Amino acid sequence: MVLEALEREGVELIFGYPGGANLPIYQRLPGHPKLKHILVRHEQGAAHMADGYARAGGKPGVVFATSGPGALNLVTGLCTAYMDSVPMIAITGQVNSTQVGRDAFQESDVIGATSSVTKHSYLVTRIDQLPRVIHEAFHIATTGRPGPVLIDICKDVQMAEAENVPPERLEIPGYKPNGHVDLERAQAAAIALGTAERPVVLAGHGVLLSHAEEALREFAERAAAPVGTTLLGIGAFPVKHPLSLHMTGFMGTGWNLKAVQNADVLMMVGMRVDDRVTARLADFAPKVKTFIHIDIDGSEMGKNVRPQIEVVADAKQALKAMLPHLPELDKGRGTWLAQIDAWREEHPLRYAHSNGHLQPQDVLIDMYKRCRNEAIVVADVGQNQIWAALWWNYDRPGLFLNSGGSGTMGFALPAAIGAKFARPELPVWCVAGEGGFVMTAQELSVAVEHQLDVKIVLLNNFSLGMVRQFQDDFYGGVRSQVDLTHMPDFVKLSEAYGLPAVRVEKFADIAPAMDAAERTKGPFLIDFRIDPEAKVYPIVPLGKSLNEFWEAPEDA
Amino acid sequence: MPDNIRVLSVLVEDGPNTLSKVSGVIRRRGFHVRSISVGPSQEPGRSRLTLQVDHGHAEADQVRKQLERLVEVVEVEDLTGHDVHSRELIVAKVATSEVAGLVQRGARVLDTGPEGTTVEFAGEGKDVGDFVDELIRHGIVDVARSGPVVMRRTA
Ligand SMILES: Cc1ncc(C[n+]2csc(CCOP(=O)(O)OP(=O)(O)O)c2C)c(N)n1
Repeated sequence: MVLEALEREGVELIFGYPGGANLPIYQRLPGHPKLKHILVRHEQGAAHMADGYARAGGKPGVVFATSGPGALNLVTGLCTAYMDSVPMIAITGQVNSTQVGRDAFQESDVIGATSSVTKHSYLVTRIDQLPRVIHEAFHIATTGRPGPVLIDICKDVQMAEAENVPPERLEIPGYKPNGHVDLERAQAAAIALGTAERPVVLAGHGVLLSHAEEALREFAERAAAPVGTTLLGIGAFPVKHPLSLHMTGFMGTGWNLKAVQNADVLMMVGMRVDDRVTARLADFAPKVKTFIHIDIDGSEMGKNVRPQIEVVADAKQALKAMLPHLPELDKGRGTWLAQIDAWREEHPLRYAHSNGHLQPQDVLIDMYKRCRNEAIVVADVGQNQIWAALWWNYDRPGLFLNSGGSGTMGFALPAAIGAKFARPELPVWCVAGEGGFVMTAQELSVAVEHQLDVKIVLLNNFSLGMVRQFQDDFYGGVRSQVDLTHMPDFVKLSEAYGLPAVRVEKFADIAPAMDAAERTKGPFLIDFRIDPEAKVYPIVPLGKSLNEFWEAPEDA
Repeated sequence: MPDNIRVLSVLVEDGPNTLSKVSGVIRRRGFHVRSISVGPSQEPGRSRLTLQVDHGHAEADQVRKQLERLVEVVEVEDLTGHDVHSRELIVAKVATSEVAGLVQRGARVLDTGPEGTTVEFAGEGKDVGDFVDELIRHGIVDVARSGPVVMRRTA
């Protein structure tokens, strides 16, 4: 019954792990050859794979896990998807309905444990609830602001036989996902932005989720307004566009932060405006007279920054509604854009290239030269994530995936595997630090088993790099518990898993190693031994305002 | 009423998870429940919650907005500052049978016996507060008090 319902929703791929409480489903699985199941090596891996699959392909990812420890192993992956609004369906086995509450073997309150990291959840105790619940779950996961939905199904329900009646019409009175664009407000927003002296637009993940990138581009060009993106919004606006401000936030580019801090009208589209974007909230965009906030989730309005004009709607619909109301361009706008160009010159992205060590940026620049915008980059968390965000020139959505809201180390490898399943035609590169990589490295087996073309770029700095940098710069230089000298030999580790790998220690060896990776069918790992002191710049010191960003020292 | 308190009337779908989801959101967003009353609404399968919630450092309208995100929540009405009927119920046992003063204030006697008298009283929060003062003078043995249930005035 579960499997038929999934087929009805158009599911083709499931990432999962069996156990006592979901065996009835697994017993029936071979009878459904259209449902391909990927056996992961840890349930967290399944959740991140489903997440990467959804981010890269747009279809909700589906995960199976058993009760108790199986379901609880999903929690980090659900949280990662929830924070970044990724559609996912998690189907967990629960003990028999008659045993619920008796501390039965492998019983845990999965609904209770996951309700703060899911958009919605269901406990199914009767077979007749199942068709409706599964249909609703897909609807809720994929509409409005997307997110993970968990369905906890008691084992006796999985075993029950019932006539498989497709659900009738959807009726969820408490669920109103889409606001309609308030035209008056859209017009007010367009006029405010269009008549601004120093407008700035910031675009978040919502722009990607609503496929609003073209609408955004048209709007920005017509308004001659510069556009920056959040970390998760990367791809919403081409980095190489003359109006691009690249990434914003506390590790954003200098010219972006200057623009935000000097803007008089700031329009924020499809984003939460969290603390990583604002840095010290009291000093965020201090010269702004009119904040415009567009988001599909009304609760984002004023959660962190109180907008003067709020538009609760899908980003694309809102931008399209605004476009015709943009006033004629003021000639004064040229001064503002020239100022931004000057800041771009003054505060370029740069790195110490010539200190004798292999620099992570060198690796990424080589990678970009080969791939251009024809590859998906999945980053882990830490320095590697920010380097991968800043040193590629993503020109469209879906090419850069990472765990922005939750910052989940261990995300990259399984998410890259999921992305590859969703987009087999595109090369997929996994960029990770060695710390995060070993958190889910067991999923290498999945890449090998399915001979997935996932190229793993390990930026190995022998430490928890981002934490080391924070300790050096913001915690009095006390290095505490960040040393990772004792790690496996990653080349041998790869060989043990059954994939080829090489180690690179010098600049000159980057290209040959990348050549080998590209030539090889199936997974490939490169252990880049990078500068152990390399840092991420620009960076705004903790607790400071965006104005106070530090830049990389100039190259010697 | 202190500035940080919102009074909300919330219509929810009845279900085993509803109350814990509502209270979970309130906790997770850093709000604090001051009072809660729940009972069936006029619609089958739905209950009405009346909540008094301290919204802490968040913007006042965040309480309503965060509750509206829950699929179990059908409708939220923020009644803070509106002209409303607000009623609280108190049931109390006092150690005396001399309760004329209480009855005069509008209390109803539920039972009397050698151990004392049980009375009930309903009214606005302030009247209930005054009633409690009066009870103290009579020697309270036990007291149970509901949170307010609130409804907009018709006119
Ligand atoms: C699961 C988890 N634990 C801890 C952290 C805190 N944290 C953020 S970045 C970081 C260091 C990551 O080190 P590594 O994976 O080697 O990447 P690098 O920063 O060196 O590129 C840590 C520990 C986290 N984000 N996620």
